[in-house]
Amino acid sequence: MSTAVVSSDAESRITARPVRRIALIGNPNTGKTTLFNVLCGARAKTSNFPGTTTSVRSGRADAVGVLRALDVQDLPGVYDLDVDLPEAHIATTLLAGGRDAAPDAVVVIVDACNLSRNLVLVAQLLARGTRMVVALNMADLAARRGLVIDTALLAGRLGVPVVSMVARSGRGVDDLRRALDLTERARPADLPLVTAPIEVATEWAHAVATAATSGSDTALGEDSLTERMDYVLTHPVFGLLAFLGIMGALFWILFALATVPMDLIEATFAQLGQLIEQYLPPGAVRDLLAQGIVGGIAGTVVFLPQICLLFFLITLLEDTGYLARAAFVMDRLLSRFGLPGHAFVPLLTAHACALPGIMSTRLIPDRRDRLATILVAPFMSCSARLPVYVLLTTLLFAQRPAAAGLVFAGCYLLGAGAALFTAKLFGSTILKGRARPMILELPSYKAPSLHNALLTARDQGMAFLTTAGTVIVAICVVMWWLSAYPHIDPPPRAVELRTAAAEPNLAPARADALVAEAAAIETRAAQVGSFAGRIGHTLEPAFRPLGFDWQLTVGVLTSFLAREVFVSTMSVLAAGQAGNDVDDGVVRRIRGMTRDDGTPVFTPSTAASALVFFVLAMQCLPTLTVTRKETGNVKYAVLQLGYMSGLAYIAAFLLYQGLRAAGVA
Amino acid sequence: MLPLTPPAPPLVLSEPDPTAVPLSTMPVGGVATLSEVRDGESRTVLRSLGLTDACVLRICKAGDPCIVQVRSTRIGLSNSVARCLFVVPEADSGK
Repeated sequence: MSTAVVSSDAESRITARPVRRIALIGNPNTGKTTLFNVLCGARAKTSNFPGTTTSVRSGRADAVGVLRALDVQDLPGVYDLDVDLPEAHIATTLLAGGRDAAPDAVVVIVDACNLSRNLVLVAQLLARGTRMVVALNMADLAARRGLVIDTALLAGRLGVPVVSMVARSGRGVDDLRRALDLTERARPADLPLVTAPIEVATEWAHAVATAATSGSDTALGEDSLTERMDYVLTHPVFGLLAFLGIMGALFWILFALATVPMDLIEATFAQLGQLIEQYLPPGAVRDLLAQGIVGGIAGTVVFLPQICLLFFLITLLEDTGYLARAAFVMDRLLSRFGLPGHAFVPLLTAHACALPGIMSTRLIPDRRDRLATILVAPFMSCSARLPVYVLLTTLLFAQRPAAAGLVFAGCYLLGAGAALFTAKLFGSTILKGRARPMILELPSYKAPSLHNALLTARDQGMAFLTTAGTVIVAICVVMWWLSAYPHIDPPPRAVELRTAAAEPNLAPARADALVAEAAAIETRAAQVGSFAGRIGHTLEPAFRPLGFDWQLTVGVLTSFLAREVFVSTMSVLAAGQAGNDVDDGVVRRIRGMTRDDGTPVFTPSTAASALVFFVLAMQCLPTLTVTRKETGNVKYAVLQLGYMSGLAYIAAFLLYQGLRAAGVA
Repeated sequence: MLPLTPPAPPLVLSEPDPTAVPLSTMPVGGVATLSEVRDGESRTVLRSLGLTDACVLRICKAGDPCIVQVRSTRIGLSNSVARCLFVVPEADSGK
């Protein structure tokens, strides 16, 4: 059992003021978040520091026996308080009580395996007169590596309590809470001045650490396991192979496991919509509930399994220490395009969905690098584009599956290529400057914490639901209203069909067919007459140079909500056309669509142009919402929308006109 | 608003050591003293991590990335950074 070790005369100076509010501070990778999770469990809330993308978590640790309840704030990881970097500004602001009252005491989490570097932050805090306790974390790992730390000596030198602990297993956490009331402001006689350069503080920290530590670190010598693992994992060839293997496994798990709850969610909400339609009287309220609100919530919640699972897996991987090595492997490729090595997780993730991709850019330390990654991530072909790719490549190459497959793969390449090109372009214009050169601490390899990963997944899921989710539902309702209103009277042909179907001596099968045809005609009329349909007609001239008629324009506009809507919109529009049998397959039906002049909607050149448009265009409102939230500024969402749509338009225009000039129909 | 990484003055000693070589040319196992950082932006981050002026470091892995150990910290540096760091090798270190 570890106990708090306090400097000799501290017990007599126990403070009268009980500690109720604490802040956790420490270098990155010291287990600060793990300690926070152990203290506060599931009762944490994450909020962005005003005007920044850095999140600050706060929570409450319950009273246990004689231990008082605590309000806990988890500050961002910092190496150096005096450096002019966002993390350091936020930490110093919050320590001074920037938002609420200043914390009563500070817990400095120190990595027992890297005492000398970690004590620099302790020196800076002591020099500022901070009331603190030092938590010597990962004491088990240090012991296994042959390091023996004399906590009494350390407490004596620092003049503040030192508690040896293991946050991952919870060992020593109660001792830490007990020690909080012994915290004090201390000022060791030899402590460097607050104005001294970091070299002086570093020397002091090294001297204190050397005095308090005996034994030598077996993980740091030449030929140590760490050294050999680093050699392999950052090697140009082996490192890349390991990276491909690990990331392949991660994404396989993500796709294999996320589809089950996603299908379940979709089915459940579909059921719910049907129930509402069954039990509520027809009318605007029923339509709004069943299609607008339930549809909107379903469209948000369906992303949740992917987001939670991704953050669960990434947190596990980050805990092991591997991500820092992987960042170097990818940096060789990505730095040529002005992106940091860290961008690989967001960019790979964006192939599943841009939302978790953009949310995972929090891994990137530099703000410029993070912005560049957020802006280009939606170019990656996400799973919502899949149905559109399938439809359009099938329309293009019905009889040639090999060619369809090739074009399909080409879409993915085109998206990734556009992302890299854009990163390079933005890097030399609006986001001037190169990616911050890779300088990373390589943390110790260690076993990940399941508890941590679960809580992170939960946090990220909740953050998504509360911030993006509410906006997405609102937008879904508006889009539904635009495509459902104003109500259009059934066209005469539909009325005729329904009258014919009502004939008493008609065979039931024939009657059903007539009703279905009437319903399709009514839906088409409703779409044409709806606000969305009218806007499609109005905007058609703008899309005509790409080969789109008004129906395709409506498809593009409705899919602005979410790309996969394109297929259902086209299917509904096609079903309503006279002469089209509703029992036909979706692809056949869409292939048979005609323009108002009777020529087919989808010629090869139009299909190709639409395909390129969908690869490049920003057709996803939820993504724009998350971009705005993560960048803290609406102008980046507007830029993303304008740039991607512009690029998509130009590329589709050039392709369509080029194909026409080359004699393609 | 967040400030971007601020420009910090590069570390250039008044009298550059003639025996200093780029870190990127050091062999594995070599021990050296940091003498010059020709990239001010990187120097801010390096100093925070423990690669302070005139510190002694050991080269754990050469190439890209280059891995160095300073005191008890292992730091990975991309090649572009390692080229800007000039070190004075210890007489009997490395090969």
